[in-house]
Amino acid sequence: MKIGLEVHVALPTRTKLFCSDPAYENLEEVNSNVCPVCLGLPGAKPVLNKKALEISAGIANALNCSINKKTWFIRKVYFYPDLPKGYQITQLDGSIGLNGYVEISGKHIRIRRVQIEEDPAKIIREKDYSLIDFNRSGIPLNEIVTEPDIEAIDELRDFMEELRSILYYQGVDINQELKTDLNISLSENRVEVKNVTGVNNLLNAAKYEIKRQESLLNEGKEIKRETRTYNADSGETLSLREKETEEEYGFIFEPDLTFYSTKEIPLSEAIIPGKKAREIALRNGYSEKTIKELTYFDRKNLDILSGLKSDEFKKGVSLIEKFASFNITDYTKEDFYRMIASEFNQLDKQAFKSVMAGNPQVNEADRQEIKQFVKDMLVDDPALLSRIKEDGKIMNFLVGKIKKKYNLSANESADLIKEVIKSPSVN
Amino acid sequence: MKADFLELDKDEYPGFIETLRDKNEELNAFNFIQNSYGEGKIISVKDNICVKDMPATASSKILEGYKPGFDATVVRRLKENGFRVIGKTNMDEFGFGSFGLNSEKQAKNPFDEKYVSGGSSSGSAISTAIIKDHVSIAESTGGSISTPAAFCGVVGFTPTYGLVSRYGLIDYANSLDKIGFMGRNAAAIKEVFNFSLGKDAKDTTSLERELIDNNSRKLYVINGLMKGVNPLVVDRFNRLLDRLISLGYTVEYKDLEYLDYSVPTYYIISMAEASTNLAKYQGFKYGFRLKDFSLDYNDFFKSARKEFGKEAKRRVILGTFIRSQSVRSKYYDKALGIRHLIIRQMKKLLSDGLIISPTMPIFTPKIEEVNDINPVEAYSMDMLTIPPNLCGFPHVSFPYFYEKGMPMGAQLIADHFNDYSLFSVLSEWEQNFKYKFAGELG
Repeated sequence: MKIGLEVHVALPTRTKLFCSDPAYENLEEVNSNVCPVCLGLPGAKPVLNKKALEISAGIANALNCSINKKTWFIRKVYFYPDLPKGYQITQLDGSIGLNGYVEISGKHIRIRRVQIEEDPAKIIREKDYSLIDFNRSGIPLNEIVTEPDIEAIDELRDFMEELRSILYYQGVDINQELKTDLNISLSENRVEVKNVTGVNNLLNAAKYEIKRQESLLNEGKEIKRETRTYNADSGETLSLREKETEEEYGFIFEPDLTFYSTKEIPLSEAIIPGKKAREIALRNGYSEKTIKELTYFDRKNLDILSGLKSDEFKKGVSLIEKFASFNITDYTKEDFYRMIASEFNQLDKQAFKSVMAGNPQVNEADRQEIKQFVKDMLVDDPALLSRIKEDGKIMNFLVGKIKKKYNLSANESADLIKEVIKSPSVN
Repeated sequence: MKADFLELDKDEYPGFIETLRDKNEELNAFNFIQNSYGEGKIISVKDNICVKDMPATASSKILEGYKPGFDATVVRRLKENGFRVIGKTNMDEFGFGSFGLNSEKQAKNPFDEKYVSGGSSSGSAISTAIIKDHVSIAESTGGSISTPAAFCGVVGFTPTYGLVSRYGLIDYANSLDKIGFMGRNAAAIKEVFNFSLGKDAKDTTSLERELIDNNSRKLYVINGLMKGVNPLVVDRFNRLLDRLISLGYTVEYKDLEYLDYSVPTYYIISMAEASTNLAKYQGFKYGFRLKDFSLDYNDFFKSARKEFGKEAKRRVILGTFIRSQSVRSKYYDKALGIRHLIIRQMKKLLSDGLIISPTMPIFTPKIEEVNDINPVEAYSMDMLTIPPNLCGFPHVSFPYFYEKGMPMGAQLIADHFNDYSLFSVLSEWEQNFKYKFAGELG
């Protein structure tokens, strides 16, 4: 079995690929981010977004591609209502990145090329007609084309996980639904499943297609060379058209653009999250799987764990898990270092947050002492209990008193008072 | 140097426009004439260059009713410098033609309506011939300025590729298209050209460069180019050379390799690009709209695209063939290579001189004569104007002789960015030769 992919990724730029309309703002209002360029009006000319070029070079570099010294664009000509110019500006031989690979469990999945291209508009299908929203027209994409090196569903899953993580570390919005063309062949004839949205659908489409092709082969039937589509509702792939020959796109050089030198683009060593996770796990004698889970889509965790010394590592991991269990996602590195110095395992969420906010940690002995102090007050003044219940001001007074005496947060103080009031020994 | 441009005040304008409309009935110079008036020197603009809120059809039915909401950069720059647009000039559809006949309204020569005006900037040449103080903003891909300038007896200047922004130009072949100018003398053109120059952030291929006048008095005649020229035209041209020699110029005959391939190279590249540029005309968003939404996509596109004229259809079909996978390397890739060889050859020669030739290999033909010739014969008429256009060299066509009442044009070619040397030679020529204009107006 051979699987090859063409994965489409939207790039994190402020503006579109060839004009200065916003790429991602205001998307709810249809046809608001449009201009003569992305509407393909006669007379308009594309001007390349240099930021998109830089981001693409970073992605190509992270996918171990060689970066073309000069990169250029071509016109891919076909008719479809979402394509206002009647051609898409994309890349082929002049692609920003060529001949790279992604490593999964020691195996290289080769990357044929990383090309920069413009997204077509969006077709909104209604019952009897379709509408077109050009907000999407011209959003910068990278198309990442692999060689047919993926040989199992597990490899497909691992590849997509690794790829998404690599893209995440290049600043890509990883919550986007990646659109993928899936090429899958169990015999000589290649079947292409076009435009599968999201990773889950991709895996399901591949599983379905493997099963379908297997059973055809078992029956001694031929697998036709064709283009299919995936229906997420039924979980099936359906034939769109048979392919006698390669599609004819009539490529020519895009004469409205020029050759772009990539020499000046600053490229630092790319973060390869799989490699990083393995290094961290090895160095600290930890399970690679756990480290991957913590770091694949969390740059902060990767930074923290890479910087931790071995003797603190276990504590660091459990702290990160603690953050997760309390659903705290917006912690900073400083928060992390403050918490790792504390006895965070003893803290409930409230206390954890209080310590995180810079308040001194209240340990169990302190808590007992404070509770005793409250109890003593209640014993000294038997009317106090009912007054607290009736008058909020009294509660506030008590909170203030404890806050000051024990240097606690108001919430914590109130919690402790409430604990005492509710305890059976008081009532 | 400052040229006098027609400046019409409110009272004069309606009368001027009325006369122009009458004249236009005969000659088909304009697709659109502006009725309202404003202050400023008047220019006309080829109908493939966008002027805000004026129709822009490129003489194609498929763009009927289209009014762009923006000015081409060249138009914006000229408006900012006090010029105003009086109308949009007729042309061969999308620039496809050398005679001004590939338009719903065939353009006619102002010297004699039985003759062609030349194309594709037919209307720009005619309007320059009939309006006294005026410059027309035209465009050349393979000779669309030189050819009509020669046939209509005006000066037609095509700058170095990239010097004038193409933003707002409805594309024919992007790597060849150049916005240029037609006027009645070098000075008038130079003034408008200077306001139009400069890098434009909206056109990647636009350039900002210092322009040179190398003051060369050396003229080259290319043997290979002269061999296809009508012998009588050669005879008139030789008289021009004699006059130039008497003004102190030297003339040298040279051979240049690969020039024989320039016509096929040009048509391969231009048709390949044109066929992609025309892909956007689908009857959806602007211009001609198809209303029959019961058709599926393919039939919808097919019906809309029936509205192209015959020559446009021919170029879409040939261009699409040239781009197809089975022949692309044989034609398109090879043409790109040959183009570079020709540029290199010509550049060597232009480093210390100018190339001179007749603009057209024939006398101005009658409309009925051209209607009979086949496309390949028609394309071969561009043999003298194609080389500088293919290479992006600046060139100018100017009147030098009147044969039986019809003007003849010669063409000077300079090296890239040597645009001003053309004006120098031309100014000197204009001091020694008086141009005659037909059907003067204004």
